[in-house]
Amino acid sequence: MSKESKDVLYGLFDDEQILLNAVDRANDSHLDIMDVYTPFPVHGLDPKLGLAESRLHIAGFVYGAIGTLTAFLFMTWVFTRDWPIIFGGKPYWSVPAFIPITFELTVLFASIGMVVSFYTVCGMAPGITNPTLDDRITDDKFCIAFDVTGADEAAKDKLKDFFSQSGASEVNMKTI
Amino acid sequence: MNQFTFESRYRNVLIGFMALGLLCLGITFAIDDELHTRFWTNYLHNSVFFTGIAFMALFILAAFTTAWAGWHTLIKRIWEAYSLFLVPGLVLMLVVIAGVWGHFHHLYHWADAGEVAKDPILQGKSSFLNPTWYTLGTLIIVGIWILFAWKMRQLSVDEDVNGTPEFKHHHRLRIWAAAFLPIAGFSSAAIIWQWVMSVDAHWYSTLYAWYTGASWFVSAIALTILTIIFLKGQGYLENVTAEHLHDLGKYLFAFSIFWTYLWFSQFMLIWYANVGEETVYFFERRENYPVLFYGNLIINFIAPFFVLMRNDTKRKYGTMVFISIVVFFGHWWDFFQMIKPGARHTAMEALAHHGAHEGAGHAAETTGHALEFAMGFTIPGLLELGTMLGFLAFFLFVVFNRLSRASLVPKNDPYLQESLHHHVEIHGDEGH
Repeated sequence: MSKESKDVLYGLFDDEQILLNAVDRANDSHLDIMDVYTPFPVHGLDPKLGLAESRLHIAGFVYGAIGTLTAFLFMTWVFTRDWPIIFGGKPYWSVPAFIPITFELTVLFASIGMVVSFYTVCGMAPGITNPTLDDRITDDKFCIAFDVTGADEAAKDKLKDFFSQSGASEVNMKTI
Repeated sequence: MNQFTFESRYRNVLIGFMALGLLCLGITFAIDDELHTRFWTNYLHNSVFFTGIAFMALFILAAFTTAWAGWHTLIKRIWEAYSLFLVPGLVLMLVVIAGVWGHFHHLYHWADAGEVAKDPILQGKSSFLNPTWYTLGTLIIVGIWILFAWKMRQLSVDEDVNGTPEFKHHHRLRIWAAAFLPIAGFSSAAIIWQWVMSVDAHWYSTLYAWYTGASWFVSAIALTILTIIFLKGQGYLENVTAEHLHDLGKYLFAFSIFWTYLWFSQFMLIWYANVGEETVYFFERRENYPVLFYGNLIINFIAPFFVLMRNDTKRKYGTMVFISIVVFFGHWWDFFQMIKPGARHTAMEALAHHGAHEGAGHAAETTGHALEFAMGFTIPGLLELGTMLGFLAFFLFVVFNRLSRASLVPKNDPYLQESLHHHVEIHGDEGH
């Protein structure tokens, strides 16, 4: 993640179907899309952008498994080695009694691990503000953005033509 | 193809399996002990299991209709057909009722007046656990279910002809569906107490109805998946895609875990409290039926949990067929372990009384040391499997017969378009 500022040319679309068609058109004319921003997940967009499936859930499984082992092995150690206590006449190593806590720690590790991973991968943390191109992309606008840092006017004109042909409702420049 | 035809080749295969089931029941009856315990437990087990699946199909329809769900519209005719098995299901249970009155079987400890007379616990429960209530409960509750199943089917089929794009017609279906939900909740619990839990008449658990209901639910979903994949293989339901299968897979996954949660909650509270009257249920199963007891958890929790956890396994037909068969069999197994140990215990006590003068009192020794292995009780035998296939064929015979009576696609359902365009996988392609 470079700290240098980028010049971004972006177009806003009113509808997801127009956006999907525009992405197809950009792919056909070999335009290099920097990113696409949508207010909600758009079905079928990921394959068009060539995005691989997220591996977050694999990480989630691993975190969950770590949570399971942590809880189970820790309780096993505590109740058989470190501080054995008899509760209600049960054996020291009472597996059924461990299950609820094992479950809770599995969920806790998986959820916290996934949140932290997700934030790290996205470069988000408390106190960090990421610039948005336009606030309306979190509301009702769909945006295709091109990185035009150092590009000449002809290239920019080509992109503007693309936007006007593919039905963008607005085209703007922003340095982020 | 929108119209299912119940061709004679399906018919012949199903009749063949029904004959196999009857043959197995007959052999079981012939080689059985003098009380025909194995025969009657098999009969009760399968009757309850398949009637419950029919009830759960109706419950699923009612819940989805009430919740404004749209994705299932393309497959709702299958559940409607399932729910109409309640009529033969009631007939199956009437045979058990006849047995209670005529003392043909010793499934229920409480049905034996001689036993009740010297048993204060059974006397305390006798205002609910008696032949009259067993009969009335079954007739009234299953009767109400049949009424709702018939009415909801009628409204749905009527919609094909008289439906409107507005919700005017559909609204009537919604009213019946919503009215059914509370009835289903309370009545299914009561019927489960009578049909299944009272096999262990001394014992009770407040979680039992939920746990058993979850077992029915998972079986109903698994059988639905198998039916859909079969029908698709025959060229029907061409608009039902991996997207619908994916959602059914989520239900199978989620409710397998729900079932495990209830199973474990029931087990852990009883284990922790350690009250003898309650622990006897699990003690009996763990000591004398360990294959049933542990196998139950492996088939119904471990297998679906790991197979269905990943996103893509729920979209693969082969995997779904495999896990649906495993889970369907697993919940049949679950009902097996609910019914067999208690009924066997009751029968052994009865046999011991019968045979006391012949010196055969050893059968009553049920605690302290392990029971003898008995095929058809300790584990399901081939006769049980054959009986199950026979009942399954009977179930499917009724279902296919009902399916052929109406269009497979509900033509004027206001949610039809939603179901046709159902799309759950964010990474999938837009087109199907």
